[in-house]
Amino acid sequence: MTNAPVILTRDLTKSYGTLMAVHGLNLSVEPNRITAFLGQNGAGKSTTIKMLLGMIRPTCGEGTVLGKRIANAEENREMRRKVAYVAENKPLYSYMTVEQTVRFASSFYSDWRADVATKLLSEYKLPHKRKVKSLSKGMRTKLALLLAFARRPDLLILDEPSEGLDPVGVEHLLQTLVAQSAEGVSVFFSSHQIAEVERVADHVCILDNGRLRVDASLDRLLQSYRRIDLSFRFPPPEQEFRMAGVQKIRTSGNALSIFASMNAEAVVERAHDLNVVSVEVTPVGLRDIFLETVKEN
Amino acid sequence: MLWYKGWLETRSRFLTCLIVLTGFCAVFIHYTQGYLRPEWREDFHRLMLVAHQYLVIIWIISVVLLGMGGLVREKANGSSSLTLSLPVSRAHLLGVRVAIGVLEAITLGVVPWVAIFLVSSAGGMPIQFQQVRFYVLLLVSGGLVYFAMAVLVSSLVEGEYTAPAVAFGLVFLATNLFDLWLRDFNLWRFVSGDFYLDRNSYLFAGTFPWKGSIAWLAVATVMLIASVKVLHEREF
Repeated sequence: MTNAPVILTRDLTKSYGTLMAVHGLNLSVEPNRITAFLGQNGAGKSTTIKMLLGMIRPTCGEGTVLGKRIANAEENREMRRKVAYVAENKPLYSYMTVEQTVRFASSFYSDWRADVATKLLSEYKLPHKRKVKSLSKGMRTKLALLLAFARRPDLLILDEPSEGLDPVGVEHLLQTLVAQSAEGVSVFFSSHQIAEVERVADHVCILDNGRLRVDASLDRLLQSYRRIDLSFRFPPPEQEFRMAGVQKIRTSGNALSIFASMNAEAVVERAHDLNVVSVEVTPVGLRDIFLETVKEN
Repeated sequence: MLWYKGWLETRSRFLTCLIVLTGFCAVFIHYTQGYLRPEWREDFHRLMLVAHQYLVIIWIISVVLLGMGGLVREKANGSSSLTLSLPVSRAHLLGVRVAIGVLEAITLGVVPWVAIFLVSSAGGMPIQFQQVRFYVLLLVSGGLVYFAMAVLVSSLVEGEYTAPAVAFGLVFLATNLFDLWLRDFNLWRFVSGDFYLDRNSYLFAGTFPWKGSIAWLAVATVMLIASVKVLHEREF
């Protein structure tokens, strides 16, 4: 397998009239990693994924998935042979039984692993003969995930995969994602569940109002993002802290709270220069990074 | 397996329509021919026309219902993402759906007439195979336009009930407007045999109108090509 990005977009844009759903997205998803795609509802995550899979056309810009151009119908079709996708609403055919659904899906892919499908059917306790329309939401989610996990694709794209799953199901899902990644499958998934992302993701992209705000490895994010709380004897000079890496500054009386994506040392140094009374530097989790990123944009 | 999916998707609609059509035709012809005397041969042929006209109405309703579905309906019920993630082109998806629909439409045209033929033969009525073949060919060759129109409407209009409502509205409108202004091009009169029936004997006179059939099949083909274009352009 080459080290070329499995997903690469350049200025990918989708607008609906005056609404910009995705705005000049430059995304590069590296292979053999679990990449999480975060964003609020309506941030443009699903729209991006649908553009990648050829379901909707970009307004402008371009992109490739596994080296195939997304806007070229034939190349996109060829690409879909090697991509397993589970959509947000876990689409299935209500008129098929579980068994028929599995048989139907298996017929399209040469990478289908019948033994894995059988194992997952048993683990998920899915009733073979029951129609999809009479399955619970959790069971439908499990069946949709089974259709993806029973394959050995080059790229797995999951849109909100844990939605509708109970804690046991979520745990199984996360373990499966890690296992798939260990087998060399590149995973690209969107989620609202920050704790889950923090557990499995190697790389994190945060989309906000259609724009990519964060694109970095999870380790780097956790190492470089800091919250710095400063206390002064006088109203703090906020403008003194406007420097590279400082994302947000909040003032409350003589206290200053700074949220920095890097350069925490320089902020602390500047504070000492200004005779700070107390300094507290705390590492932040992905949840805070996400909230601070999307809060005011 | 797309064929299998297409069959599973339409089988309940198809089988219901087949049972209704066949049952209606067999029962109708059985009871009505019971009122005829054997020597009233021409009245039996008139009865066949009446049966055919009822059959055409139910057949059109059936094929319009069979033409519904596909990607746009799947979008409305949320399953289009699964279909579109398959490594299959949209034209292929539509092609399989149309092929299944055409086979089902032909079956819906042939089986009820086989039932009429068998019931009438058993009842000693003078039913002729050539006349039955004429009726079936008219129905299927011209009637596929209704199916193609339903496929086109289902590619354009979303909604489980909106699309069939629009399709039935168009059938009704086209039948009446063509009758007012372009009677010679009224598809209803073509499929019901109105243009080719001898009103004295109620038998088809002359050869089968192949040119007319091919022309209507061409219209159906154009509608299906338009459906492919619409689906290709559409976003899901």
